[in-house]
Amino acid sequence: MAKFLSVGVFALLFAVAFASSCTKPEVSVTSFSTRDATIVSQVAVIAEFTLKCSNPEGIHTSLYAEYNGVVTPVARIGEGQYQISWNEEPKKARSGTVTVRLFDQEGFAAIRKAQRAGDDLSSVKSLVNFDVSQPSAYKGPWVNSELVAAGAAAFVAYFAFSTRSKLLS
Amino acid sequence: MVQQKTQKSANSMFTKEEELLLQDFSRNVSTKSSALFYGNAFIISAIPIWLFWRIHSMDLLSSAVFFVVVTGLSTYLMAMAYKNTKFQLKHKVAVKREEAVTREVMKQLADDKKMTRKEKDERVLWKKNEVADYEATTFAIFYNNAMYLAIVILISFFVLKTSSPAVNYIFSVGLASGLLALFSTSKAA
Repeated sequence: MAKFLSVGVFALLFAVAFASSCTKPEVSVTSFSTRDATIVSQVAVIAEFTLKCSNPEGIHTSLYAEYNGVVTPVARIGEGQYQISWNEEPKKARSGTVTVRLFDQEGFAAIRKAQRAGDDLSSVKSLVNFDVSQPSAYKGPWVNSELVAAGAAAFVAYFAFSTRSKLLS
Repeated sequence: MVQQKTQKSANSMFTKEEELLLQDFSRNVSTKSSALFYGNAFIISAIPIWLFWRIHSMDLLSSAVFFVVVTGLSTYLMAMAYKNTKFQLKHKVAVKREEAVTREVMKQLADDKKMTRKEKDERVLWKKNEVADYEATTFAIFYNNAMYLAIVILISFFVLKTSSPAVNYIFSVGLASGLLALFSTSKAA
């Protein structure tokens, strides 16, 4: 009897655990990253995504994200809506496409395990992946305008000086 | 000063040719040329106000005292630099252009048989003086303006980059005009 009960409880727990995970996940993403980095100290990237699962309760799961080797919890901002953001120093900011991999509780546990063991994180199977495009932010002109002005003024002054020397010689 | 006075009072005793020759070497400038110098000096001295107002964001009204005093001083110094540079250049230019001017004037007067040799020489001398005066005046303005702007930009953007705008303004404009006035008095060139 006790055996039956324990199997029953295990089955129930398994069912609950399975049900809380998202099956056949789909994400739609909108993202933004800092475009102008001339006067800011940090470049920010923010991505909002909507999660859809074939099981409606699956969207209530807590999510974790991995990008560029960083693992972080994902903020839930609404029903099935999540947000992830990070910032980087303008000089070190990457540009291009960043792949964000999402994990549920189980996947997060596997990630932690892989981190402890020093394994490659990409070997852990993710729930779903999506790409965030991060175009490189504008960091100001290649040549400062005062340098251009100084160069032009120096050139004209050099011309004036050499002409004067020629006249006086 | 005394020498100038004696020169002036004695002027009437010179022949026209001698007067022209004297004019060639004279440090005195005509009123027209002086007005040109002061007008130009004022414009070039006022230009940095825009730089410090718009780029270095100095307040126009609260810094008006600095702007007026420094612009006035700079105008005086720049006009002095123009005058000295012109004086240095004028004779050299006259020598350089002499041949061409003589050829040109002689060509024009070739048909005029009535004119005496002396008169023709006088015409040449007068023309040479005019050409040299004009060229030296315009070149002195160009040379000093070019140097002035280069020095102002160099000092304000690179040397005094970290100092406050008011200090930056006073020193960049003051130094630029001061240096040019000083250099213009050099005899070596």
